[in-house]
Amino acid sequence: MQIGSPVYFLKSRAVIEIMLKTTVICFLASYGLAFACELSQLKRRHALARIVSLLLAVAGLVAHTFYLLHRSNQSDLPPLLSSAHDWLLVVAWLAVLVYLFVTMADGELATGLVMWPVILTLVITSRFVTDSPSHRLDYHRGWKMLHASMLGLGTTFVLLGFVSSLLYLWQHRRLKKRLMTTSAVKLPNLELIERLNRWAILTAVPFQAFGIATGFGLSIFAKGGELPMTWTDPVVIGGAITGLLMGVLFVWLLTQKRSPGRQVALLTAWACGFLLVTMIGLQMLTAAVGMRSIHGSAPVASEAAAAAEGRAP
Amino acid sequence: MNLLALYCTHQTTPLAIRERLAFATPERLAAAYARLKERFPETESVVLSTCNRVELYVARPSDAEPLTPPLLAQFLSEFHDVPLDEFVGELRAATGSEAVRHLFEVISSLDSMVLGEPQIVNQVREAYRVAEAQGSCGSVAHALFQGAIRTSGRVRSETRLAEGKVSIASVAVGDFAKSIFDHFADKLVLVIGAGEMAEETLRYLKDEGVRDIVVINRSPERAERVAAEWGGRTAPWSDLNKWLGQADVIVSTTGADKPIVDAKLFKQVRAANPGRTAFILDLGAPRDFDTNVGDLDNVFLYDIDSLRNTCEENRKARVREIDKAREVIDEETAKFMAEYYHRASGEVVSRLMQDWHGVSRDELDRLFHKLPHLNEKDREQIERTVERIVNKLLHPPLEALKDEAREGTPHGLINALKKLFGL
Repeated sequence: MQIGSPVYFLKSRAVIEIMLKTTVICFLASYGLAFACELSQLKRRHALARIVSLLLAVAGLVAHTFYLLHRSNQSDLPPLLSSAHDWLLVVAWLAVLVYLFVTMADGELATGLVMWPVILTLVITSRFVTDSPSHRLDYHRGWKMLHASMLGLGTTFVLLGFVSSLLYLWQHRRLKKRLMTTSAVKLPNLELIERLNRWAILTAVPFQAFGIATGFGLSIFAKGGELPMTWTDPVVIGGAITGLLMGVLFVWLLTQKRSPGRQVALLTAWACGFLLVTMIGLQMLTAAVGMRSIHGSAPVASEAAAAAEGRAP
Repeated sequence: MNLLALYCTHQTTPLAIRERLAFATPERLAAAYARLKERFPETESVVLSTCNRVELYVARPSDAEPLTPPLLAQFLSEFHDVPLDEFVGELRAATGSEAVRHLFEVISSLDSMVLGEPQIVNQVREAYRVAEAQGSCGSVAHALFQGAIRTSGRVRSETRLAEGKVSIASVAVGDFAKSIFDHFADKLVLVIGAGEMAEETLRYLKDEGVRDIVVINRSPERAERVAAEWGGRTAPWSDLNKWLGQADVIVSTTGADKPIVDAKLFKQVRAANPGRTAFILDLGAPRDFDTNVGDLDNVFLYDIDSLRNTCEENRKARVREIDKAREVIDEETAKFMAEYYHRASGEVVSRLMQDWHGVSRDELDRLFHKLPHLNEKDREQIERTVERIVNKLLHPPLEALKDEAREGTPHGLINALKKLFGL
């Protein structure tokens, strides 16, 4: 069969059609099984289980990618901009990429035990936030894309900071309690995690700050059928508070010449955990109660119709 | 099987005798191989000589007169110039499958002083390499030592015999210090006191790349000696607090009768570097560091008791794996013996097959000569039929030979076949 021939075209189209019908359950199941494989190795590492876990993660990532592409095609918007549901899935997708990268670099590390619960939480949570597009890209397309990308990357680094601080606290506790290492659960050394943690926060905060700033700017200069920002919007309030908190952590990290690693890890874990819970929790809350929010809920029918017609509601 | 292992190990023989029987230098080893060849021609031999064991493995052809332990003991006596009666009672011998099993146990470190230690594999490999280089290895020695290396690989991958560290210094550095620091090249190591265990710890730390070592001891001479040996420098006892404040790794083994550092003092001397992590290995008994030093932030304090528990648990975990390791060794010994016996009967099998197929070939040529009208296809059919008949007739005796070979070299059956078929 020649590439470019009608038969080849039809067949490849069919394959793409099947792949685009992937649902969240497909990759959620893959990730869940990969996590189960990691848990099954708690007592002893098995090469086969490790390979299966890796294959499941890759299969899940492929399905995840196709799902995001499909959603993007459907809404005619980039995944980062289409809905809170897609945005969370993009962050989860980036987290899986990071997990695969770390696992390829050092397959012995027990990163999966910390990463998978976070990834699974993100994917499961995405089911409880709005999946209807709430943005229109008539105006400021570039700025909106920049805003969403900055927040997406910032959140991924926050996620990394959160995971690395958990790893730090785990390793720190083991060392203080003088517990011996097992061949099954290998943790990175404190010095390395400390570096990774610091780097993750110092990278996350500028992204977050820029993302929030562009968000404020876009809301102030909202046009047409766009939903304007209000200071009582829970997503705005939550975002501002957590952003401020991360900013304080950022400044503190920069000004401290050398601070106790456990203290940094605890602060980071709390700050990042709070940011993640606030951001995701507020998205879920606004979706659940149907509250008007800048990101959290779909526009009401009249607004959507007005937006579609290009006039103010 | 004409294989003999003669050995003395740390389990059976005092060091005073082992060191007199050891082949300590490559030159001595080469001379031993030369002497063995001269004295026992047609003999394959491998000498394994380490600080814990001296072992000789010798193999001869099946039909040659077997070597006996007294003969080899005499050789050892003459070579090392040690009277026979001073060590002959310490020697142990194993033959055939027992010799194979012994080697497999040795390489799997079941016979080592530290169960599961990895060095023995390299020592056996090296012994085999030297024997090969000296031209002392034949088919049996090759098969035996390759089988031994395979067995050790299986034991290490299929059991947990080599998992976990079992010496205090190795646990301290391997399990704990390496979990704190990413690299050691830029770390300052402070050694307080100059005991043996401190030196052992320094050995592990040096392996990890430590460069900067400061030794402080009440007796400057001992400090100088340790510092010179490990590439460090010394400092006077009066500077102890200064170095305590700067060190990343502290190894202490002073022998003081009460702690020399408490939390208050340690916090005070570290005030200039509050966030700096300290790994303290307190090898003193009584302890040199008060236990509350370990409660300080970024301080990881380990004493002998806390590490001894880990060592003991690792040791117990290894002991629990002995049965599994023995199962692997039993399997590999049986496999090796079956292959060996199969090889021993292989010669008779091939001669028998050669003879029978030779006869059938001659008869077929005669037949085709008498029947020239046969075409190529008919000839081929006849040839195949005859070949099948020969194979079917050979099958029962060859199967019987194979079955017998599982238990040992089937000398009786081989002789019977030789007589019956004039081989």
